[in-house]
Amino acid sequence: MSDSVIAHTLPNGMLVLLKEAHGAPVATSWIWYRVGSRNEASGRTGISHWVEHMLFKGTPQIPAGHLDRLVARNGGVFNGFTWIDYTAYYETLPADRIALGLQIESDRMVNALFAEEEVESERTVIISELEGYANEPETWLDEAVKDAAFTRHPYRHPVIGYRADLEAMTRADLYDHYQTFYMPNNAVLVLVGDFNADAMLRQAEAAFADLPAGPPLPQAPTAEPAPQAERRVIVRRPGPAAYVQIGYLAPDCRSPDFAPLAILDSALSGAKSLTFMGGGTQTNRSARLYPALVESGLAASAWSGVTPSRDPYLFELGATASEGVDPAAVEAALIAEVTKIQQDGIAESELARTRKQMRAQVAYSGESVTNQAMQLGMWEALDSYRRVDTLLDELASVSAEDVRRVAQTYLTSHRRTVGYFVPDESA
Amino acid sequence: MSSIEPGTTLRHVLPNGMVALIRRNPGAPTVSVRGEIRVGAAMEPVEQGGLAVFTGAALIRGAGERSFQQIVAETEGRGCSVSAGGGVQASGFAGKALSEDLPLILEVLADMLIRPTFPAVEVERLRSQFLSGLRESEQDTGYRASIAAQAMLYPASHPFSQPSGGTLDSVAAITRDDLARFHRRYHPALTSIAVVGDIDPLAVVAELERRFAGWQITDAPEAVYIPDAPPLTGIQRRDIPMPGKVQADLIWSVHGLRRADPDYYAAMVANMILGQIGMGGRLGEQVREEQGMAYYCYSDIEADLGAGPWMAAAGVSPENVEPAIEAILEEIDLFRQDGPTDEELDDAHAYLTGSLVIGLETSDGIAGSLLGIERHGLGSDYIARYPAIIAAIDHEQVIAAAQKYLSTEVYVLAVAGPV
Repeated sequence: MSDSVIAHTLPNGMLVLLKEAHGAPVATSWIWYRVGSRNEASGRTGISHWVEHMLFKGTPQIPAGHLDRLVARNGGVFNGFTWIDYTAYYETLPADRIALGLQIESDRMVNALFAEEEVESERTVIISELEGYANEPETWLDEAVKDAAFTRHPYRHPVIGYRADLEAMTRADLYDHYQTFYMPNNAVLVLVGDFNADAMLRQAEAAFADLPAGPPLPQAPTAEPAPQAERRVIVRRPGPAAYVQIGYLAPDCRSPDFAPLAILDSALSGAKSLTFMGGGTQTNRSARLYPALVESGLAASAWSGVTPSRDPYLFELGATASEGVDPAAVEAALIAEVTKIQQDGIAESELARTRKQMRAQVAYSGESVTNQAMQLGMWEALDSYRRVDTLLDELASVSAEDVRRVAQTYLTSHRRTVGYFVPDESA
Repeated sequence: MSSIEPGTTLRHVLPNGMVALIRRNPGAPTVSVRGEIRVGAAMEPVEQGGLAVFTGAALIRGAGERSFQQIVAETEGRGCSVSAGGGVQASGFAGKALSEDLPLILEVLADMLIRPTFPAVEVERLRSQFLSGLRESEQDTGYRASIAAQAMLYPASHPFSQPSGGTLDSVAAITRDDLARFHRRYHPALTSIAVVGDIDPLAVVAELERRFAGWQITDAPEAVYIPDAPPLTGIQRRDIPMPGKVQADLIWSVHGLRRADPDYYAAMVANMILGQIGMGGRLGEQVREEQGMAYYCYSDIEADLGAGPWMAAAGVSPENVEPAIEAILEEIDLFRQDGPTDEELDDAHAYLTGSLVIGLETSDGIAGSLLGIERHGLGSDYIARYPAIIAAIDHEQVIAAAQKYLSTEVYVLAVAGPV
């Protein structure tokens, strides 16, 4: 795909990626900022996500409450999201309206108002969002696992932030974060759709070229020290079932070991599209975890995942215990699957299957301009947009021995955090 | 059959009555299959809640010569997928593949629909997963509010009064033979299948004829029928305390209308303005944007073969439950009184017609649209006529629909959470 991408860096440092796609009269405009929870200091957790919310709350040109209607009346859909490594915004529109995306993003990159009353209104909205997640047992478990797996790195705190930080955040904090990270030299603009790339590039230049570059960005966050011992956490709360979640500290996505780990993940639960938050598709029922955990009766469901990230993150696997099954038995079965691969590697047939699945995933994502732009933007934010294609080459050249090696290197007990959620009405 | 123009849909009726909707979409080397059998939970006895859903999910568990393990190994091994499930008014099935693998997924789907084997071991495994899912649902605030609202909206004898997934008790009691018996109600004359992608439509017709020719049911098809529900009287409210939760889900609801009802488009536009467009229409604007009370507040209308609910929902912290209810009722009252502004109406028109192309970008999107057009008999030119249908919805029609269906004096309200 990346061969047909036109890449152009504006004088202010903003990279523009354009790809023509004429299958449908649709176009998408995405902007990615290299800021996420990894950039958050203690006491300011959740600030990147809150800034994302504020980008919808008004500029002089597009007052609060108008942006969503503006996109809708042009026949479009939109959204934004914040993750550990990046914040992204997109509009997908009928192709002849795509200039609206450029207008919106170039405007709010620099002109977002962060009005006091809007900040206050959003405080309770975000706390409401946090409370909604807190209704889910898996949220409690996931946060406990991340908190234990990372002792220094900001990946330890949730993207939504801690409630106490959200209650204390000020308008000045938010605006300062916005001014630090929302600048053209920290952004990637991705445009995919039914347009002429040269004409589209000129429109992008007209919208963004005059926006001033900002000063150098703050240093990379504190590295996570090499783990020395297994960590264990147990969450006890009312809930419908016991859940197990295991995370191993894994290399970042630029590592040559990322591709073998992605293959390892495929062997466990099937090949997945490696976009936002890593997973998305249903666990393959012919991959290793399903027969071992679900068909055996130990679990109602089982999963695994590897998330492409800027800094070392987690290779994870987990399961929902069947009623009456001790989470320790589920944990043992999950770890047994890791041990098998460490000892025996995987079969050539599994490699072949993964390659075919990846080919299919690529074809499926090619159907949607929104999906294509998401992949290009995500990889550029983390590494390079070319990785969309070069990763496929890396995956194709992974050997069974590579998979065994990375299992032995990274999926070790001292790199491991094990979490249980145990239902407990009295907790 | 003569040659098929690109971009047109071929509608082909098989001798057994099954309807095929085939469209070439060459953008990617993939194919999407979406289908339905108009047999669903509406036809199951109340004490067998979950039967249609269980039957649909069990089709993949063994079909024709293949075991479940063989089906998943062969399909997943090629990066394709097949699935089936049951709902209230229809049971659905789907497949997704690279175009070169279409023959495999059609073969497997045909076996799943025509000759599922329901092996006892697999049925028990699936039951166990359903029970696990039900335990999770029964601790979900949104689910508990929703089923409480349904139970108040519809009498116990009405198919919409019960959750289609059943209860822990009803699902535990379903037998393997119950599934096989329910499956025998599937009928080709109640079935539509849409195939969209990088395919040759005439070749697909031939393949479907081959695969589905053997589906012959001698009994006449018995279609889903959803009766009218008796009108609501007064206000009904149910509060479901769930102490382990942090946030409450609340649902306000009245009866909606059928898709076939002449009021449908006016009601749909009304709903768009009240609680959908942008970040939740007027409801989202008031409850989220203005008052900061909720991360989500919106309205929705379920208009299908039967008249489903017209509902508004929000997720709020316990101290905001009453203020949020008040705000929602106020917005509904205001909307009933004054209807939409000119700008809101223009925006709704523009959004509905403008966003058509986005919904039809992918083969999945096209296949889903074709199925809906067939289900409701909207006609092969529906998409071309759609902009004019929407443009004709004016202020008077929207306000009339709001006044006819929405009410702040006769409704049901369900609240589930730490209340």
